[in-house]
Amino acid sequence: MSSESDNTAEPREYQHDDDGGPQPEKHCGHGRGGMGEEVTRKEDKRFITGRGNYVDDIKKPRMLHCEIVRSPHAHARIEDIDGSRAMALDDVVAVLTADDLLEHDLATMPTLMDDTQDVLVNDKVKFQSQEVAAVIATDRYAAKDGAEKVKVEYDVLDPVIGAEEALEDDAPVIREELDGQDDNHIFDWETGDPEATEEVFDAAAVTVEEQMEYQRLHPAPIETCGCVADWDPGDDKMTVHMTSQAPHAHRTLFSQVSGIPEHKVRIVSPDVGGGFGNKVPIYPGYVVAAAASYVLERPVKWVEERSENIQTTGFARDYDMTGELAATEDGEIKGVKVDVLADHGAYNAAAQPSKFPAGFFNIFTGSYDIEAAYGSLTGAYTNTAPGGVAYRCSFRVTEAVYLIERMVKVLADELDVDPAEIRRQNFIPSDAFPYESATGWNYDSGDYEKALDKALEMADYEHYREEQQRRIENDADKLIGIGISSFTEVVGAGPGKQCDIAGIEMFDSADLRVNPTGNAVLRVGVQTQGQGHETTFAQIVAEELGMDVDDIVVEHGDTDTEPYGLGTYGSRSTPVAGAAAAVAARKVRDKAKSIAANELEAAEEDIEWDRESGEFHVVGAPDRSITITEIAAGAYMNHPGDEEPGLEATNYYDPPEMTYPFGSYIVVVEVDRETGEVDFEKFVAVDDCGNRINPMIIEGQIHGGLAQGIGTAMMEHVTYDDNGNVTGGDFMNYLLPTANEIPNFETGHTVTPSPHHPIGAKGVGESPTVGSPPAIVNAVVDAMSHADVSHVEMPMTPDAVWEVLDEAGLALEPSANVTFEFDDTTEEPADD
Amino acid sequence: MKAAQFEHHEPTTVDEAVSLLESLDEPTILAGGQSLVPMLRFRLARPDTVVDINGIDSLDYLHEDNGYLKMGALARHADVEDSEVVADHYGSLADAAPLIADPQIRNRGTVVGSMAQADPKGDWGSVLLAHDGEVVARGPAGERTIPADQLFLLPYDTSLGEDELITEARVPAPVDGEGSAYHKLKRKTGDYAMAGVAARVVLDDDRRIEEAGIGMTAVDITNARAPEAEDHLVGERPSADLFEEAGELAAEASNPESDEHGDAAYKERMVDVLTQRALGDAVERAGVVKRRVTQ
Repeated sequence: MSSESDNTAEPREYQHDDDGGPQPEKHCGHGRGGMGEEVTRKEDKRFITGRGNYVDDIKKPRMLHCEIVRSPHAHARIEDIDGSRAMALDDVVAVLTADDLLEHDLATMPTLMDDTQDVLVNDKVKFQSQEVAAVIATDRYAAKDGAEKVKVEYDVLDPVIGAEEALEDDAPVIREELDGQDDNHIFDWETGDPEATEEVFDAAAVTVEEQMEYQRLHPAPIETCGCVADWDPGDDKMTVHMTSQAPHAHRTLFSQVSGIPEHKVRIVSPDVGGGFGNKVPIYPGYVVAAAASYVLERPVKWVEERSENIQTTGFARDYDMTGELAATEDGEIKGVKVDVLADHGAYNAAAQPSKFPAGFFNIFTGSYDIEAAYGSLTGAYTNTAPGGVAYRCSFRVTEAVYLIERMVKVLADELDVDPAEIRRQNFIPSDAFPYESATGWNYDSGDYEKALDKALEMADYEHYREEQQRRIENDADKLIGIGISSFTEVVGAGPGKQCDIAGIEMFDSADLRVNPTGNAVLRVGVQTQGQGHETTFAQIVAEELGMDVDDIVVEHGDTDTEPYGLGTYGSRSTPVAGAAAAVAARKVRDKAKSIAANELEAAEEDIEWDRESGEFHVVGAPDRSITITEIAAGAYMNHPGDEEPGLEATNYYDPPEMTYPFGSYIVVVEVDRETGEVDFEKFVAVDDCGNRINPMIIEGQIHGGLAQGIGTAMMEHVTYDDNGNVTGGDFMNYLLPTANEIPNFETGHTVTPSPHHPIGAKGVGESPTVGSPPAIVNAVVDAMSHADVSHVEMPMTPDAVWEVLDEAGLALEPSANVTFEFDDTTEEPADD
Repeated sequence: MKAAQFEHHEPTTVDEAVSLLESLDEPTILAGGQSLVPMLRFRLARPDTVVDINGIDSLDYLHEDNGYLKMGALARHADVEDSEVVADHYGSLADAAPLIADPQIRNRGTVVGSMAQADPKGDWGSVLLAHDGEVVARGPAGERTIPADQLFLLPYDTSLGEDELITEARVPAPVDGEGSAYHKLKRKTGDYAMAGVAARVVLDDDRRIEEAGIGMTAVDITNARAPEAEDHLVGERPSADLFEEAGELAAEASNPESDEHGDAAYKERMVDVLTQRALGDAVERAGVVKRRVTQ
């Protein structure tokens, strides 16, 4: 582990454009791809030219294919499984059931929340499409043919759909196999100070309340989950290429579940086609494939179909929230309360740090200086797929941001004040940081008003407010709505003492080796699923060592070669592994200094590092200088006698605190009073993620996350019918936005560095997904708030919006809204 | 995609295709695969034999000929979308093509295949109905034409014989004073229509509506006409009031079901809205100056 001084490497102010205008092209001075430069992504060449290597691209000699037999019922006892007709097919090699797995003690697996999930159903099916048996065959078509032939007899039970229904007294008990479990209640959780909050509410001049559902979503990465498991009986070693956002943690879990010693387990996460939290948990398919490979001593591939991915792997959200705000008559927010009913599905398989059953939901005071806060939450089992993963989000911060940003709009409407002004009035002031919130979070830095002001200006806010009024006065058939979200994020978990995954502290790591010829390999414990780590982390090293970014290669995803890390999710890669990379580079620089002294024939105390030129030079003699590349040669060919040869360093970074990116998004919509359709007129996103490493990658992340925010607000929903059938379980019914649905985004930024992060960066990947849904909903509500509409549930499909219009008396009778002009004397009718 | 096993035939002439259809046991025709491939993927379709007509070059055309716009069985949605003659003279087709699915699917999916699929949520059936179009079918007994009104029987069921192949869909070329349009409401690109309406009008010299055709998408068990609305329009000059009445009549004629695309009452109302919008555009394209009521 690193020494303490490594982790408290002094924060340094980087040059940045405080006005948030276009970033100057070069920041560190050497112009070779350091901090702030728009370096073209190193990974793009292989992706664009079709040379990516995803799990399903991997083929091994004698490889078999696994297809999973899934339950058509949501709740049913298994009476019998007969695989004989499948085994009769020529190309089918094996049919596995829970009985087979029991022999190897692999019938169950732990979830990340310490629940126990069946790998293959042992007794009772608990959600539709749950894994019942597995067919192993010589090709994937034969495996599917075989799966169709497996005969399963079910005793169908009444399903429990919906958390509220699940907690009713007479609801069937889903988890009766658990000791003492005689209902569907999982846990209760509380945060904040209930008494202080009640006092504030009792004394408040104004209170508002709104119930809102954050619907069940699926991260829906374009690449589904899958693996190739390969047990090597010669080396007694299990190698699993898998779609993993956290290969090292998965190695430990794999070892624990299988009993194979950890040094004999190798997890490789090759190119991964999007994760978004979906690839953090372990799924039964991985375990089945590994078990099959172990038993059959051949490689086994398992790759999900799209509908299997949506119907069975970790969903996100599904929080039914009731929020309340207490305020003074002039709009000062004094207190916030929230009560949540959380649907966790059939197992508690959320992906949260283990001490946080509701994730970081208690950051629901948001960007506001609120005296008192109290939250309560109840989790319930239902006969639906397990989940509650952090979909492009730090552990329920998305739900928290939605709650507070919606409630601020509700309050603004109640008080009839401008929603921008009430935010400004209640923001945590920029001079109050570091700031401790009412629920105990320590915000590192922020300047919320600056981001809001910039967004208001970019959005031409006043113009749209006037246009909105004009349309209302003219009873226009299309209404204008303006929505704001001034969100604060919490990312970069650890610290390890607070945050762990299955007991492993959430640090992360970097191992930097400079070669004799002056280029370098950086190995990191996090893993990329499209975030651009191979470029961004190389830029951090380039900045710290004055090297050319092209001379640094970043490796990740192979547990045999990379240092242990906790993986990529929750925007933690830059805050944690990025810090580790910077600290490791500084360690290399420290060692390089003595070599520089040796090479420059000067005393070490006379050598100084010049960040601008990216060189060491002798104090007072700038022309007596040496680069890291030149030093590298010395480290291997002429190393000082009192130093070890070589030039490398490792850092395990345990962050002292989390980081708090923020931003203000402003969305202008037009709502069609005849059809309920919503069109985006303007979409402004101002983000502050601290010091910016690669502005182009940041902008790409913002665009992608905003698109997902639009999907969330407008169309995505994993739906179930009363029998527990998934009715939103494929891309015909689980609607993802396409480029056609995405408006032109106008992005801007401010820069407020994190004071405790070695390079002042905060993380950005999830900000747009977290921040944009409330801005979009607030916009649609705003279009109708003059008719006392206070809320519209997501997803805001045309029919759903029309219902709200209709209830508010705003729906227009269908009308042609045209006049025709006829000239009876002249012109012939024209061609059409 | 892990389809069940099937036999794949690739005829290169229509005669060869027809004789395969006659000789094989329950063959399935593959054109663009827009609907068949997903059904194969889910194993909802498990044909023993697939007759793939993509190799029949003679079916790959889209042109005006002998008073018709003719679309061969291999004319893709993208061909319609990119056609100049369509853009210049066939407003409803030009409107509908880019609203179908997404660009990738439009490059493969065919107009004729969509009609043969007879999904009530398909767009082309409504256009064909509004235009009084027809399809040309070839079978062992030779060639026949089936008017649009007689093509669609039930969801996914047409009056086509099992050994017949639709070789062409065609709509009459517009006369002077004709205009048409298609309006569709959907939740996203690639989603089926929540509702869609095709409208076609022919105006006489006095600018009265001489002929009217209205075809509706996704609001009945097949693509359906709105005959009362059509009759109500004939003999009248276009006006907002007239269109409001026609919209109501079309909505009454529709018979939607509540589903994930919205409840029945909403869809009926949208038929009203879309009928009026489509009629407005059709009349404008027929040469009448249309002014939007400003608000």
